Amino acid sequence: MKTTVRRVLQMREVTILGVIIVLAVVLSLTTKNFLSTSNISNTLLGLSGIAIVSIGMTLVIVTGGIDVSVGSALGIASVVAGKLLMAHASAPVIVVAALAAGFAVGMLNGVIISYGNIPPIIVTLGTMNIIRALLFGVLGGRWVSGVPRTITPLGLGRFLSLPIPFWIALVLIAFFSVFLATRSQGRAVYAMGNNADAARVSGVNLNRTNLFVYSLTGALAGISGLIYVARTGIVQTNSGTGFELEVIAAVVLGGTSILGGKGTLVGSLLGAALLGLIQNGMVLLNIPALSEGLVTGGLIIVAVLIDIVRARGARP
Amino acid sequence: MKGTLDRIIGNRMIFLAVLFVFFFLLLAVFVKDFFTLYNLTNMTQYAVELGLLALAETFVILSGGGGIDLSVGSIMSLAAMVIGVLIGRAGMSMALAVPLGLAAGTFMGYLNGVLISYTMIPPLIVTLATMYGYSSLALLIAVDPRFGANPMPVSNFSDSFYFLGQFRIFEIPFQVLCVLIPIVLVLLFLLNRTAFGRRLYGVGSNETAARFSGISVRRVRISVYTLSGFLCALAGWIITSRVASARPDIGSSYLLEAITIAVLGGVSIKGGEGTIGGVVLALVIITMLYNGMDISGIQPIWQLGILGVILVGAVLLNQILIARRRI
Amino acid sequence: MDTILECRGVSKNFGGVAAVRNVNFTVDASEVHALVGENGAGKSTLIKMISGVLTPDEGEIHYKGRKVAIDSPRKAQEIGISAVYQEPMVYPELGVLENIFLGRELKNRLGGIDWAAENRKARELFESLGISTQLMSERMGALSVGLQQQVLIAKALAYDARVIIFDEPTAILTEHETQRLFSIIAKLKERQVGVVYISHRLEEIFAQTDRVTIMRDGEVVGEFPTREVDAKRIIGLMAGKLLVEEVAHAGKKSDTPILSVNSLSLAGWFSRISFDVYQGEILGFSGLVGSGRSEVAQCIFGVLRPDSGQILLDGRQVSFSSAEEAMRHGIAYLPEDRKVQGLFPILSTAYNITITRLRDIAAAFGGVDRAKEREIGEAYVRDLSIKTPSLDSKIYSLSGGNQQKVVVAKWLGVNPRIFILDEPTRGIDVSAKSEIHHMIARLAERGMAVLIISSELPEILKLCDRVIVMHEGAITGEFESGDITSENLLRAAIGERMLSEEAGREGAP
Repeated sequence: MKTTVRRVLQMREVTILGVIIVLAVVLSLTTKNFLSTSNISNTLLGLSGIAIVSIGMTLVIVTGGIDVSVGSALGIASVVAGKLLMAHASAPVIVVAALAAGFAVGMLNGVIISYGNIPPIIVTLGTMNIIRALLFGVLGGRWVSGVPRTITPLGLGRFLSLPIPFWIALVLIAFFSVFLATRSQGRAVYAMGNNADAARVSGVNLNRTNLFVYSLTGALAGISGLIYVARTGIVQTNSGTGFELEVIAAVVLGGTSILGGKGTLVGSLLGAALLGLIQNGMVLLNIPALSEGLVTGGLIIVAVLIDIVRARGARP
Repeated sequence: MKGTLDRIIGNRMIFLAVLFVFFFLLLAVFVKDFFTLYNLTNMTQYAVELGLLALAETFVILSGGGGIDLSVGSIMSLAAMVIGVLIGRAGMSMALAVPLGLAAGTFMGYLNGVLISYTMIPPLIVTLATMYGYSSLALLIAVDPRFGANPMPVSNFSDSFYFLGQFRIFEIPFQVLCVLIPIVLVLLFLLNRTAFGRRLYGVGSNETAARFSGISVRRVRISVYTLSGFLCALAGWIITSRVASARPDIGSSYLLEAITIAVLGGVSIKGGEGTIGGVVLALVIITMLYNGMDISGIQPIWQLGILGVILVGAVLLNQILIARRRI
Repeated sequence: MDTILECRGVSKNFGGVAAVRNVNFTVDASEVHALVGENGAGKSTLIKMISGVLTPDEGEIHYKGRKVAIDSPRKAQEIGISAVYQEPMVYPELGVLENIFLGRELKNRLGGIDWAAENRKARELFESLGISTQLMSERMGALSVGLQQQVLIAKALAYDARVIIFDEPTAILTEHETQRLFSIIAKLKERQVGVVYISHRLEEIFAQTDRVTIMRDGEVVGEFPTREVDAKRIIGLMAGKLLVEEVAHAGKKSDTPILSVNSLSLAGWFSRISFDVYQGEILGFSGLVGSGRSEVAQCIFGVLRPDSGQILLDGRQVSFSSAEEAMRHGIAYLPEDRKVQGLFPILSTAYNITITRLRDIAAAFGGVDRAKEREIGEAYVRDLSIKTPSLDSKIYSLSGGNQQKVVVAKWLGVNPRIFILDEPTRGIDVSAKSEIHHMIARLAERGMAVLIISSELPEILKLCDRVIVMHEGAITGEFESGDITSENLLRAAIGERMLSEEAGREGAP
């Protein structure tokens, strides 16, 4: 029993949960508004988008890659959704279209990375800008606002007084956690990240795994784009800029190793929660929003550092 | 025919030269107003900031070990803001403000280098984090308390400030003659003719052998990131002088372009391979293309898209060349 | 006894050098067949051909009576040949079950992974081998190497292996784990599996194996049932009759040591190493691969840090934290792996030769004097007869022998007082070898202290005035002049235990 307790306590996820609880307690004691339902609800709403995409990003980073184009994928999906809304399309059509747009971006990444043998940072840097350009082109440089409320419940609706997007995130995380455990494609992702050579020799199709993780990430970004439009009712030319940093931060905070091979979806969810909490705290404590980059950047470095120190200590 | 094609693709410099001639002729023939003295000399001024950033990336990527600097645009913005705020709001003289701004950028680069060398964190992650961190810092500096909590650009510079960016000598922009060309020459010397350049190529091409040969890998890597910081700060100063205003987001689109030029110019992502000459040629080609697209009215957004395509194509080319080498 | 695996007339060449020549080798069911030989004898090449990593240039492999072409490790696994290497190929962050079944998952009707079935199968395998089923819930990376090895054996059986190859399995195991391994091997025999056992530990071979095959220089020089042969015979066959022409050098050994190593230790590599090095002398370090010799040298050279012990240079204690520091004190180290540690493949010959002497070719403003660089480069190309199209040719285009000469030139240029050469003629053709040997002799004549680390007995016999033998991190022998024989060296390289073994056997009724 004792070993089980010790092992549970050593889990990264538990540590993060602990930090979250401590931070929540501190915030509720030092600020007036933290514990209000609206604040908590808004925070959860805000972090849902990050949590959803973090599913894909976790897998991408586990395979040893990275995807900085998720912000642009989110952007293009929201543009597609926005335009279709203005054209009074029906909800199912909009949902499918947004998903497809994100998926297409992800697939593009996956194909070039797999078959072109080009480092993921370069490819996704390129697509980040290409898609952003496309986005500008489609929008014609203007914003879209005042969209019909066809899909608004998706973004602003509640279930059991928690925002729908948050439920969507939970469902997706549960689904994919099960998937990773029960499908060989799931094992392949981790195998590739742990020991790509051994994986290849064992018959794992590395290209297919790459295609899988990147197109999944794109599709999830599409869902987040959809939620974004549903929530805010507007589509901007710079929707999603900076989003990739937040997702990467959430994943890294959640214990996924930057070097690959290790990371859980639940951990990334907790990482997203921690990030959301910190951002919320910054707002409540009146720290200028402009410092967000500093804070998030610093967090990433600290989190990765902790991971590296731990890994070094654990090695025999 | 195949033999010639092989040889052209096989030698990076020849390939770039051919590319240059090809695009030059294409633009000269099909784009109105391209082949005029005014245009040709005018477009070189845009090349300066871009060139400095591309050269910064070149040195960083050369050092190997996954070397890359995603924060080049941010350091540029930060230095620009520091100079802008010091001159425009604090009323400092240019002679004091500029060195301080350059020092700030250099220090940011040094910080990158230290973080990368002393922790095992991959350069990708470090500079991703500092990219956002430094640009956030730039935004914070830009906040003018007189106008509330929003970042504001600075534009009240004295006329003497603009000599760097808006002056011309014999129609050639000042910054090209007196900044870019001298810097290129110095870097050329640094890379090809100094012991430091030797060490850099060694560290980039085989880090283990470098260590076994008595080279301090750590010192070399910290140096290149510091150099990158300096070059980016220099670019920040120049662009501020050119557009007559210091904005905190001035560096945002430069990252992709800088990396594209470095890679197109023959710098291998793995490290240890690349020449200044190639990068300069690539700089010229890209600048020409941008200029041509501008004049013919292609939207900036499409330009960026085309650039993305070029980047991927350039890396693919590198892969092919490496594969042919059969080590 | 049924023969499961048979190699007939198998050969393999690398760049004109025959690594394996016309070898016949069989593995029967329910037997443990030992494979012994010096480094470079061809054992690992033979094993790699059996396990699909390499394909034979000549000859055939028959499996279960039928000729097969094993062109990939996966193919080998599929037909039932598995190998367990010294450094296990594992997925450290995944669990034991994942490691066993990766790539060959047991699926349920829906196409998903059937955890229950995998659990059952793993449990069955573990129990049949006597492995603790508690391991099943662990993360692979949390297990000791010995336990990981056990999991890999279970994995091999999960693939229905009929032939399992063990490459130096006990090298990294504790005493207890070794015993466990032997009991597992006994269980394998019960399951009719044929085991190939590569090892240098003769006492294990005598205790655990049924047959032993000895290889030397790529050929099989002997094959016996284990009980019909003794240690002396095996070593004799391994070493062969080595007639080497000694390369004499006129150097005079200095009276006091220039370098002294006292009780140097580095966890996991070597412990309590002490020896002296004299100027004008060629000191050899013999032993098997992995005995820790390179690591000792690298500690002296500053690339590795020892845990304890002292290094004295000219009587004063030193502790180098970088190669640069060691170089400044006059120590040079020619690395074991020239590709990874010694050369810059995509850079030019001139660069590679002068990279250690940047100070000598310095010009103004931190610049580099190109003329001087060429001068130095040309001088060495001449002196060492380096065949290269030009000083600007990239190193990767040179042959192995010439590449090695470049690395030698690089270090000669530093004019060291102590020159450590780690496997200086590995992978080099005969004439280049000879040239380098003569050059080494000349160095000692000039008064340099030369240390040669080599796994090639002829080289050591040829050149060295004194030889220190290391075995698994400890010094097991020190020999001078007349005592330097291949038999002495080999016996020490395999370990002292050998001697008592032999004494015991000879005295047995």
